[in-house]
Amino acid sequence: MFYREVGQFKTSYAADQAIFPIRQDRIGLALILLVAFVAIPLLGGEFLIASVMIPFLILALAAIGLNILIGYTGLISLGTAAFMGVGAYACYKLSTLFPQVNILVWILTSGFIACAVGVVFGLPSLRIKGFYLAIATLAAQFFLQWCFGRVGWLYNYNPSGAIEVPGHSLFGVAVTGPSATPVTRYYVVLCIVVAMTWIASNLVHGRIGRNWMAVRDMDIAAQLMGIRLLPAKLLAFAVSSFYAGVAGALMVFIWLGAAEPEAFNINLSFLLLFMVIIGGLGSLLGSFFGAALIHILPIIVRAAPNALGLSVGSATVEHLTYVITGALIIFFLIVEPHGLARLWQIGKQKLRAWPFPY
Amino acid sequence: MSGGEILLDVEHVSLAFGGVRAINDVSFNIARGEIRAIIGPNGAGKTSMLNVINGFYHPQHGRISFHGKTRARMKPYEAASQGIARTFQNVALFKGMTTLDNILTGRSLKMRRNLFWQMLRHGPALAEEIEHRKFCEEIIDFLEIEHIRKAPVGTLPYGLQKRVELGRALAMEPTLLLLDEPMAGMNLEEKQDMSRFIVDVNQHFGTTIALIEHDIGVVMDLSDRIVVLEYGHKIADGTPDEVKSDQKVIDAYLGVAH
Repeated sequence: MFYREVGQFKTSYAADQAIFPIRQDRIGLALILLVAFVAIPLLGGEFLIASVMIPFLILALAAIGLNILIGYTGLISLGTAAFMGVGAYACYKLSTLFPQVNILVWILTSGFIACAVGVVFGLPSLRIKGFYLAIATLAAQFFLQWCFGRVGWLYNYNPSGAIEVPGHSLFGVAVTGPSATPVTRYYVVLCIVVAMTWIASNLVHGRIGRNWMAVRDMDIAAQLMGIRLLPAKLLAFAVSSFYAGVAGALMVFIWLGAAEPEAFNINLSFLLLFMVIIGGLGSLLGSFFGAALIHILPIIVRAAPNALGLSVGSATVEHLTYVITGALIIFFLIVEPHGLARLWQIGKQKLRAWPFPY
Repeated sequence: MSGGEILLDVEHVSLAFGGVRAINDVSFNIARGEIRAIIGPNGAGKTSMLNVINGFYHPQHGRISFHGKTRARMKPYEAASQGIARTFQNVALFKGMTTLDNILTGRSLKMRRNLFWQMLRHGPALAEEIEHRKFCEEIIDFLEIEHIRKAPVGTLPYGLQKRVELGRALAMEPTLLLLDEPMAGMNLEEKQDMSRFIVDVNQHFGTTIALIEHDIGVVMDLSDRIVVLEYGHKIADGTPDEVKSDQKVIDAYLGVAH
């Protein structure tokens, strides 16, 4: 009843090709941005900002990167965490070698380094597909993680084997390190994630995105349209690894503050894969849904007994969190195998006709 | 009509997969502006011939000249950029994309804006997008598929999918359009529609068409000249009337008394 495009006539192809052609969607997006930029920093507590929102945004960014690869181009990768690690270690090396340079420059530069490494490991994708490609990217995962642990130069021969983030400031405000406030760090992450989501959305809605999806859906026909498979696939690997690299750098510099090689192990790769599949393959919005489900849902479940006034032992709560989160994931996948983004689409379709059945 | 300039010349092409000889020393040509049919029983090598023409298969022997340029090997995207478009026997659409996006993919080679502008999706990139959208809308109008513009093609009925596939090939503004069984599995009405589109494409856009089809009635009505293949050999070549009265063709289709 409220969500209807009735009366919104489009008189130009520009209006019809817009990414959000329906007015209600544009208002919704503006509200979300308003909440993210104004309401959360003003009203949110430190826990909400530092432990919920910052990790959520960083994981969503990495999920967008993986979604470009799996959801849009149809190339399965199990090496996302390794590419995030490349971003993190590159950023660490660069910022310790040249500490006077603006940290944002290094975060983006380390994205490009991850991008180069991603392209190298993407080369086999021309010849192999599906599960076989997944195994090839698994090699990247193990090899790179080994490098993070064994190549001393990467962690500046730190005896603990971990990388620790020094303090950096931007225009006189501490951005990383112990003196940075959660709100500052949140704004840095939010700005980067919003800008990169906007860029990803532009890419997937244009020629490059259509070429990726053509390669995904029918690579033989794509070749006949004049799409060269290797450049298209390598570009997907490059963009995807860039996103993973920036997310990895943000994860260490803004979220954790320090990291060991284990932070970028195969579990993180799988977690991101789950986010992409549960959120919705081939949907940017789905990447946010997936990250929310995997990261925020356990936090809510963990906090629920206290909020409801029940006294449950902390060990039991931990077990229950796993059980309930797992059950909900299965529930959502049974309800809609194509992910939460599709569920959202169906919901919107229903809302258009509401209160009538169709 | 035929008799004009030769657009595509196939000379002594042979293609084998291991011991199986799919095409055996076949030569024929396609003149600019004609509708050329390739017919023959199942397994005669018709689809292999199309695959050779647009660069999927590389023949062991023989040469192919397109636009007067001779080549032995060519990659599919090179064929595409020279103006050879193609539809498939089993519909090969991009199933997850809408009709409009499928047809826009056909414009991929004509779009020039680089990664930087694509990232911004403003100014030149958006202008380019709109310009190609206009072109695709003309194709959508022409094929009468306005109502399914925004529908994912995976959900469309077969006849419409075939039509969208033709639209996607037309979006490339091809000089030579290869149609592999455009009417397979269609009912009479759909066949009539498709025949009308093929004739219109040929006459209005001046596109040269090579067509594989099993419905002999359609082939005889549509085509200017026909090549008949059997077991990888060319057994006849000529106008519909010549082919119809050729004894070898009658034998191939009706069988011979031994």
